[in-house]
Amino acid sequence: MIEEPYRWVEAIANRREYIETQLAAGSPIAAVGYRDGILFVTVGRARQKIFEIYDRIAMGAIGHPGDIERLRMAAIELASTEGFTRSAADVSLRRLAHYSLSSVMKSAFEQVYGPPYLARLLFAEIGSSPKEDLFLRIDYDGAIAADGLTAQPRQRFAVLSGTRQSAEWMETFLRKEHVTDAALPDAISLALDAWSVGRLAMGENANKELPERDAVRKHREEELAKAGIEAAVLERDRKSAIRYRTLADEEVRSALQK
Amino acid sequence: MDKLPLALDPNFSGASEDFPAILRRKSLLQSAPEPTAAAGNRTFIPTESTTILAFKFAGGVLVAGDRRATAGNTVVYDRADKVLEIDRHSIMAIAGVPATAWEMARVLEHSFQYFRRTQLQEMSVDGKVRALSKLLRDNFGFVMQGVGVVVPIFATYDGNSKPEARLYFYDAMGAQFEVTDYAATGSGSPAVRGILYYENNWGDKKLRELNEDEAIAIALRALDTAAEADTSTGGVDRSGKIFPLIKTVSRDGITTLPEEKIAQVFRQSVA
Repeated sequence: MIEEPYRWVEAIANRREYIETQLAAGSPIAAVGYRDGILFVTVGRARQKIFEIYDRIAMGAIGHPGDIERLRMAAIELASTEGFTRSAADVSLRRLAHYSLSSVMKSAFEQVYGPPYLARLLFAEIGSSPKEDLFLRIDYDGAIAADGLTAQPRQRFAVLSGTRQSAEWMETFLRKEHVTDAALPDAISLALDAWSVGRLAMGENANKELPERDAVRKHREEELAKAGIEAAVLERDRKSAIRYRTLADEEVRSALQK
Repeated sequence: MDKLPLALDPNFSGASEDFPAILRRKSLLQSAPEPTAAAGNRTFIPTESTTILAFKFAGGVLVAGDRRATAGNTVVYDRADKVLEIDRHSIMAIAGVPATAWEMARVLEHSFQYFRRTQLQEMSVDGKVRALSKLLRDNFGFVMQGVGVVVPIFATYDGNSKPEARLYFYDAMGAQFEVTDYAATGSGSPAVRGILYYENNWGDKKLRELNEDEAIAIALRALDTAAEADTSTGGVDRSGKIFPLIKTVSRDGITTLPEEKIAQVFRQSVA
């Protein structure tokens, strides 16, 4: 099959279609910068989707749990050994993504006789100032989309979703609504709205255009009544070296009441 | 093609390796030679030149250590930190060869974090105590060659079903001993052990009932007594204003007592 270049391209295209179908149901994750750091939010169904990688790095993931686990373990192992042999300050998300995860995912994807990684990953790294924050997304084929690596205007948020449409809507929504110096409760509310926008773009009865504010709020209330909120923050000015903190469901809900 | 920097194991199982094993696989942690018969013929002279003490008091566990580092008869450093924070609730205080001890503390710190991050749960206190024991056991080959002996104390707060402070001391081979009241290690420890035993049995209060100021006073007196006869223990350097390092562990985590506080108790109750 792969003796002929055309066949190889076809095989890759089929594989891409297959993976996209597999990922299409993945519940969105929003990562937004706020006054004191970076917030990750998703609305939970069955399993945990937001993880701590190292002192200043968090990860959100959708895809097959087995593949997510392997990539997560690899990321933690790399960050931990780097932090051990050099120092925590030498652990960098940019290097982790570009030199390790991306190339591994790309070669798994392109070797058509082996299994690809059914996973899409969203990372954030908190710096000592908002200017040094980094958001980064790695797709199943190793493609990287980053916010904070080049001189382009910063948006200080990033999203991850099962479908392209859903991710685009979330970004459009956040580009309009996101403010970088919001307090945590406001940031949580905004991230949940973004989640709803992403969710409304998915599935059989998906909206055809970006939903109105009221429709978003209604959808969000309905979903929150039957599912748990999963959230974590990377806090800039924490006394401890570990900046990652999980927010319990009750903590998030009580913040929303205020 | 060059080998990828990250080779993922196809037979991956999440819990297969602990952190020291990963470090050995990547040649980042030296393995000690097996203790051989030839090494065994040598007389073993323990050389843990320092004084470390720890006891439970009303506010949790207090761990104190002097600041002197020696090489043979020479004082090489007078501001050494021998009371090290391993995680939010655990302290390892070290007597022995600093290079090995600090490396061990670093491995331990990363092991606990690695476990917590990969397994998505905190390592149990028994697991932590055992992890240090294993590092000591793995180091024993070096000890038998006459280098790298470490005899630590481990203090932690167990937040589980029955929350309480826990205190352990180790021997150089890795055996762990849990104590109810106090522990001391290093060359100055015989004197300290005498003082703590006396205070606990015939003092005004039992060690466990002491408030923070009283506990600091006892710790300073004990270290000063140890320094009186042991050249390897710094005690309190009155002229250089160098005070022992004192940390406490409680439910809320680790507190490093500020130097002004120690200096104040020293002036009131010791000097």
